[in-house]
Amino acid sequence: MSSISTSSTSSTSSTSSASSTSSTSATSSPASQRKAGRPLRSRRRVEPIFYFFLVPSLVLFTLAITVPGIIGIFFSFTDSIGIGDWDLIGITNYIAIFSDPAILQSYLFTFGFSIVTVIAVNLVAFLLAVGLTARIRMKTALRTVFVIPMVVSGIIIAYVFNFLFSNSLPAAGAAAGIPWLENSLLANPDLAWIAVVLVTAWQAVPGALLIYIAGLLAVPEDVYEAAGIDGAGKFQQLTKITLPLVAGYVVINVILGFKGFLNAFDIIVGLTNGGPGTSTRSIAMTVIAGFNGGDYAYQMANATIFFVVAILISLLQLSLTRGRNAL
Amino acid sequence: MESVKATRRKRLAAMVLGLALLAGLLSGCTGTPGKETIRFTFSKREAIGFMTKLVADYNASQDRTEVVLDTSGVDVVSASFVRGNPPDVALANYNMETSRFVQRGALSDLSGTEAAGRIRGDLQPLMDQYGSYPGRTSALPYSVMASSVIYNKEIFAAHNIAVPKTWSELIAACEALKAVGVTPFYATWKDDWTIAQGWFDYSVGGQVDTIDFFKKLAAEGTRVGPDSSASFQKDFDQPVGKMLTLAQNYVNKDAASRAYGDGNLAFSQGKAAMYLQGPWAFSEIAKTAPGMELGTFPLPMTEDPQDLRVRVNVDLAAWIPEASQHKEAAREFLEYLYRPEVIDAYNASQLGFGPTKDSAKATDPRVAGMAEYYEQSRVYQGPSVLVPRTIPIMNYTQAIVFGASPASTLRTLDADWARLAFRQ
Repeated sequence: MSSISTSSTSSTSSTSSASSTSSTSATSSPASQRKAGRPLRSRRRVEPIFYFFLVPSLVLFTLAITVPGIIGIFFSFTDSIGIGDWDLIGITNYIAIFSDPAILQSYLFTFGFSIVTVIAVNLVAFLLAVGLTARIRMKTALRTVFVIPMVVSGIIIAYVFNFLFSNSLPAAGAAAGIPWLENSLLANPDLAWIAVVLVTAWQAVPGALLIYIAGLLAVPEDVYEAAGIDGAGKFQQLTKITLPLVAGYVVINVILGFKGFLNAFDIIVGLTNGGPGTSTRSIAMTVIAGFNGGDYAYQMANATIFFVVAILISLLQLSLTRGRNAL
Repeated sequence: MESVKATRRKRLAAMVLGLALLAGLLSGCTGTPGKETIRFTFSKREAIGFMTKLVADYNASQDRTEVVLDTSGVDVVSASFVRGNPPDVALANYNMETSRFVQRGALSDLSGTEAAGRIRGDLQPLMDQYGSYPGRTSALPYSVMASSVIYNKEIFAAHNIAVPKTWSELIAACEALKAVGVTPFYATWKDDWTIAQGWFDYSVGGQVDTIDFFKKLAAEGTRVGPDSSASFQKDFDQPVGKMLTLAQNYVNKDAASRAYGDGNLAFSQGKAAMYLQGPWAFSEIAKTAPGMELGTFPLPMTEDPQDLRVRVNVDLAAWIPEASQHKEAAREFLEYLYRPEVIDAYNASQLGFGPTKDSAKATDPRVAGMAEYYEQSRVYQGPSVLVPRTIPIMNYTQAIVFGASPASTLRTLDADWARLAFRQ
């Protein structure tokens, strides 16, 4: 915890000092600037180069995200199908959404799936990271192996696992005489979500793993030595020292992971395509289905609701992380 | 300093010149001078070779119009409508997706064409099932695909089984096959569309008059439910029950984890006697078993052979967007497409049925079993394609086959239908 807060403060101070030196070098000496302090710095003319850095992304973000977003929100109050004539119909779409079991179920599935996956990913990644930062043989080779899933595209992973679940596992089950393995996990409406969690976690673990390795390497060796001298065993060291010291990284991983899993799409499309039945349809999938199915306005309303929900979650996360930085 | 500026200016000038040249080149690419260029969208993968040759023949046959074949697919076409730059003419699958363009008036009226006068009248109700635009003939059927049960003639002959004409004959045939260790049906339930188009559509279409049913359903709108004059829970209950009888007793054991591709391979290896697929599966089966003797028959769902019908869909329909700048040239090309020798050659090559009054009869033995039904218009369009795409009916049919309660799933369908009517 302390490590992350110190590192973040040091990084911000270094960037601000770099910027101030670059902007002030011509006018004043570093000494006079230090005396002048904050109020003066804020009034000083900002080097135009920073706007130059900012403008392209601002323009692109506005054109590619904000404007279409506002247009989409507007169309959620119409009966448009994406082309041709349309009429304003008020909040009819929103009323329909709240009584639509398919959409409610997609929210339920997406949130349940995200929570379970976040827990699974972080548990596995943390334990792996602890193992991979310990003094073991072939550390570099093993780290490479564990990171490979990250560089493979999600849809390819999904198709490979689809084959494994549908063909290899049932064949192995039949050969070994295990009856419940003989039918594909993907064909079971009650258990298919487990397959989705497994495959998503398989792909997401490396990303979390890298962050945890970075975090664990930042923990100074001497605290372990001190704990060892005080008589703490390996397990106690893990729970009482390592875990608190990388708590900041846990927060980062949980937030980034959860945000990513809420948008789950490609792996589910490749694995189950929302099935069996509608048991694994994510929110993103219902929205996309609306585009293809001529239900533009309705799914725009759905996307708007999802947008609001996502903003609420981000605000919650922001307040949580802000609290942590203050610690 | 001065020289630096000069080089900069030169560079800038060179760049502008280069861009101008590039732009000129690009615009120069788009057409043969003196000919009107029209964009023709066609994305049926299996027939792209055929269509490429046809377009080349047409371009060579006259010097007014240059047809450019565009095979980029359905999604691109939808986007082009949104941008206001649709193709000039298209032959595309006729479904709920295309019907959006029809209903919102994005397609031009073709009633004045010579081709429109030759279309069989009994196909119009099928086209209208997807909706229409007042006063317009927005699309013309070009190729009709019929689908029913594909059966392995060798297996049927080896066990002295005749083609069943009634539900009890079908059950008897299944029992006979099962008794000698042959799997009656090969099912590929991992792909939900195979359940919807085969199992579900054949079962319902063999018993329910889908034109009448969907007419009533549209009229009931938001009132669709247990008390409406037509509802999924009432009218589909019995057909779905019969579908489950077949699905639970007479399929391969691993049906739930088999996909369409697996099914084609297994069926070509003789692992089952019957297969609920459309004619598109023939070419796939032929890849591994080119000489296999296959036939087709409608799935009997009642005790009356008069009820036998085959499922059809308008695999290709021709339309010309209202926004096209080259409607006249497009109509001329459309008339060419409908010339008897052209349309007959196309349908023969794709095992399709011709939509015109003067179409040649389908003679391929694999689809000949369905020809009489098509000629007598004993056909229906599958309910799974008549439900708007926004209702995940394929997923629902899969859920039913995997053990979800049919009654509650059909109730969900009713509720979905009523909700859709509420907001449209």
